[in-house]
Amino acid sequence: MENALLIGLSRQMALAREADVIANNVANVNTNGFKARSQRFEEYLMPVAKADSFPGAGQRLSYVLDGGVGLDVTQGAIERTGNPLDLAIQGDAFFTVQTPAGERYTRDGAFTLNSAGELVNASGFKVVGDGGVITFSPQDGDIEIGADGVINTKQGPRGQIKLVSFDNSRLLTSEGDNLFSSTAPSRPVGKDVKVSAGSVERSNVKPILAMSRLMEVTRAYQNITNMIQRTDELRGSAIQKLADMPS
Amino acid sequence: MRAIYTAATGMAAQELTVQVISNNIANQQTTGYKLQRAQFQDLLYQNLRRTGSSTSTQNTIVPAGIQIGSGVKLATTARNMSQGTISSSGKDYDLAIRGEGMFKIRMPDGSAAYTRDGSFELDSTGQIVTHDGYVLEPGVTVPTNATSVTISAAGVVQVGVTGQTALQTLGTVQLSRFINKAGLDSIGDNLFIETAASGQPIDGTPTGEGFGSLQQGFLEASNVNAVTEISSLIAAQRAYEMNSKVVTAADAMLSTTTQMFRS
Repeated sequence: MENALLIGLSRQMALAREADVIANNVANVNTNGFKARSQRFEEYLMPVAKADSFPGAGQRLSYVLDGGVGLDVTQGAIERTGNPLDLAIQGDAFFTVQTPAGERYTRDGAFTLNSAGELVNASGFKVVGDGGVITFSPQDGDIEIGADGVINTKQGPRGQIKLVSFDNSRLLTSEGDNLFSSTAPSRPVGKDVKVSAGSVERSNVKPILAMSRLMEVTRAYQNITNMIQRTDELRGSAIQKLADMPS
Repeated sequence: MRAIYTAATGMAAQELTVQVISNNIANQQTTGYKLQRAQFQDLLYQNLRRTGSSTSTQNTIVPAGIQIGSGVKLATTARNMSQGTISSSGKDYDLAIRGEGMFKIRMPDGSAAYTRDGSFELDSTGQIVTHDGYVLEPGVTVPTNATSVTISAAGVVQVGVTGQTALQTLGTVQLSRFINKAGLDSIGDNLFIETAASGQPIDGTPTGEGFGSLQQGFLEASNVNAVTEISSLIAAQRAYEMNSKVVTAADAMLSTTTQMFRS
């Protein structure tokens, strides 16, 4: 096969995958605490022949590869809900929840209580506080959570929500269910991080950007198709003309 | 193209949001109705290149892997149990709860149900019952010769009887609380029942520790805010449209591929 075809193909495969990434962002446009992902491309240089004895130097061919899908950790919009157990984080930090597979991190702060009075997320995973799981008793009455994550009830303090951050939160792995996992260790958060009770953080997907990028991807894909077709036509006509021996 | 299926999950999710919102709007005038909000979670991710894998013999680490998500799913339609507006109705047996707690109702099969709808009536035997004729627990029977009734903030039911100057105390209206009231199961007719998620009911009297007080002659309206619902509806509709555009775009990409074939 011709190189032009293969290079075009590598670009089309990368574009198709970017469309998948955009589709996932758009599907999660109303998901609490969702962080958009964006595709990054990298050049892949085809290795050339090692021997130098050719009369002309080997031509380097560059293909495209989808090098990585980075996490956009910018702040999403904060929406008031009025539910005292809904928490939104302002700043670079994550809530920690306890799952059967270990600690996971989330920005989705739509928490509730379970029947044992423990603070849990929508999947029922327990929210971790500075002293373990946060538990309320039926007598606690109104629950107030301060900007520093300290929980107070009529019956006294109930600990503090554990917030963590990472040296590079763009490296977090998405696990689904609004959870992230990290191979790097977490660290305590800085002073500029605030929790706001009675609100949730919405998705940080920017619809206009997503739609424009999708348009670009579609057009680029079509262009490559055109290019492949032209190359094919070129080859077709070359074969025809060259084979068209004057009799 | 995976994008088509991913966008389809987005469209399905927005459809569910519209269903939840329309139920809220339909129940805007329902006494004691608590609004629901659809909440979403992202679906599983496929790791095409794992974050943290090495890229060279020198153990260079991939800074960000390739993770492709597969869409969105509905996580919960949690109820917002916040207090609704209390408005005057002027009827003797209308009760509104200011604060925590729910009325306990005895269902015909003997089980208990709970409600914030305090529009009660008397049945033919003088018992305080709901619109559907289910008895308010603990049962209070008003004698036929009662001329006036007062229900105090603490739930004490007193009636004036012809020929007597002193009021006659009939009993006390009780309330029930749940540690996780958002975990109650709605069974329609403004009623909720206990589940494994809500926990056991905690019974008490109005104005007691953690319980709200009663207001006679008032009713609690739904806590649906029309403006919030309509703006959520617009947002859901736009999100639906966006997802449908993704389907169209992915389809256009597929179609260009198919058109590469020439006969």
